[in-house]
Amino acid sequence: MTHIVIKKMLNSNFKSWLLCCVAISLTVTSCQPHYTLIKQARAEYHIDSSLVVDSGILKSYQPYKQKMDAQMNTIIGESSQELTKSYDLPETLLGNFFADAVFTEAKKIDPSIDFAMPTTKGGLRNNLPKGNIRLSTIFELMPFENELVVLKLSGRDVLQLLNFIAQAGGEPVAALKMQIKNSEPQEITINGKPFEVAKTYSVLTSDYIAAGGDNSKGMANPIEKRVLNLKVRDALIAYVKAQTATGKKIDATLDGRITKN
Amino acid sequence: MEELQKTNRRRFIKQSGVAMATLALSTSYIDAFAKGDLKRITILHTNDVHSRIEPFPMNGSRNQGLGGVARRAALINKIRAEQKNVLLLDAGDIFQGTPYFNLFGGELEMKLMSDMGYDAATMGNHDFDNGIGGFYKQLPNAKFPILISNYDLSDTIMHNATLPYKLFIKDGLKIGVFGLGIELSGLVDKKNYLETQYLDPITKGNEIAAALKNEHHCDLVICLSHLGYQYKENKVSDQVLAKETRNIDLIIGGHTHTFMNAPEDVKNLDGKITTINQVGWAGINLGRIDYYFDHKRNKKIQPATPYAISNYID
Repeated sequence: MTHIVIKKMLNSNFKSWLLCCVAISLTVTSCQPHYTLIKQARAEYHIDSSLVVDSGILKSYQPYKQKMDAQMNTIIGESSQELTKSYDLPETLLGNFFADAVFTEAKKIDPSIDFAMPTTKGGLRNNLPKGNIRLSTIFELMPFENELVVLKLSGRDVLQLLNFIAQAGGEPVAALKMQIKNSEPQEITINGKPFEVAKTYSVLTSDYIAAGGDNSKGMANPIEKRVLNLKVRDALIAYVKAQTATGKKIDATLDGRITKN
Repeated sequence: MEELQKTNRRRFIKQSGVAMATLALSTSYIDAFAKGDLKRITILHTNDVHSRIEPFPMNGSRNQGLGGVARRAALINKIRAEQKNVLLLDAGDIFQGTPYFNLFGGELEMKLMSDMGYDAATMGNHDFDNGIGGFYKQLPNAKFPILISNYDLSDTIMHNATLPYKLFIKDGLKIGVFGLGIELSGLVDKKNYLETQYLDPITKGNEIAAALKNEHHCDLVICLSHLGYQYKENKVSDQVLAKETRNIDLIIGGHTHTFMNAPEDVKNLDGKITTINQVGWAGINLGRIDYYFDHKRNKKIQPATPYAISNYID
């Protein structure tokens, strides 16, 4: 009996010794990999019209393209110039167009809105080209399914939002003017009147930003929240169509609504 | 928010923590290739393609006529015909940006990437745009794994749908690829990412990279990152990741849509090279990094770094 136990112990010891050997040899191998990295070479290929196309790939997306074009190629308006965005400027043509258009359409539903920040600069996803505006153009500018909301905010919370805008170096806004001095908002007017911290304000934004999207500030505790049942993109489309119906082209100007020192 | 950035080449050289060496092609070097002692791995990569299937339309805009999957596919096929060890990778934000996504929910993007033979991709913030369920729904169309190591998805529909990393064996060389995603809170609506838990990318990156190098004995460790190239504010980025980790050879970045004049070589915690590269967005560019390995048999042990870096593919 004892003999067997000892034998078993020896046996198990032998096994663990074997395992140990394997482990040691593995470790040794890992310290000496078979191959040594000796060189890195790099390149970048520009994907432009000088390249040939893969006809198989073209064929695979053709049915999707046909469906998409049928829905998205409709021309809904015309832009008199290219409206561009920038991360470095406090105010841009694209940002002003976007904010004013959405503000105009939302006011038709809720005239009590004081000012708007319907997107951040990061939410402007593509420049608006000069010339024909197709449905697809607006989808590329505003691809997200965000809903418009109106938040009634205390003056204190509005100030937080204004600070956020100032620290970002400006965001797309309508009916709001400010000067950014040392990353702080100064000379603030809302709807043409000087900002008063004791007052409450109704701000138009998207559900995404209202939920703290793009790290926006000041919107977490609204006194009241109204959902307009209008998507941001649908507001843009409605605005372009309305302009076209009255014979106007889409345009925007830099009017100094936000300046930065 | 994405920040459009363009790195300045001069600044890039100045900031590089590791001096670039040029390699004269010695006869022994050519001999090694001929004898088969030299092996070459070709990494091709994209980021932030954002549903850009067709080239940008010819409408006078800055990017007009650029990009397009049909051209990219042909280029990839050409490179594959020339090189036997190719890995094709994407650093996330596959979804959102053209009506193809609004109408088909990402089905086409995944199918075309599968057709092009992508080997792996990570998740970007916009890949959550139709909710985590919307991404999950498209996974049957992806014939490549989604690699993400710092999102704990166990309480979501995606709990078995991703891998933290994957090992690729090419010509006897082992390549470990893992994924890191950006913090979702404040960037993605909670209703879209639900119970996804974000884990610290530096901690996770170090943990996974160490396992890949030391336990799996990878010859090359690649991180697919959607953290972003760099930020003015104190926020984790590819530059921070590179400096504060060990064992990562290459970070393929995304999120900031950064067009770099050349990849950036950063000195990591071990004083070794961690290369960062990102190729803008929308499939305007395809990045390529080739790694050359020498068989060490019958040779004196040489230090792994610095190795030669060339901005020219021969």
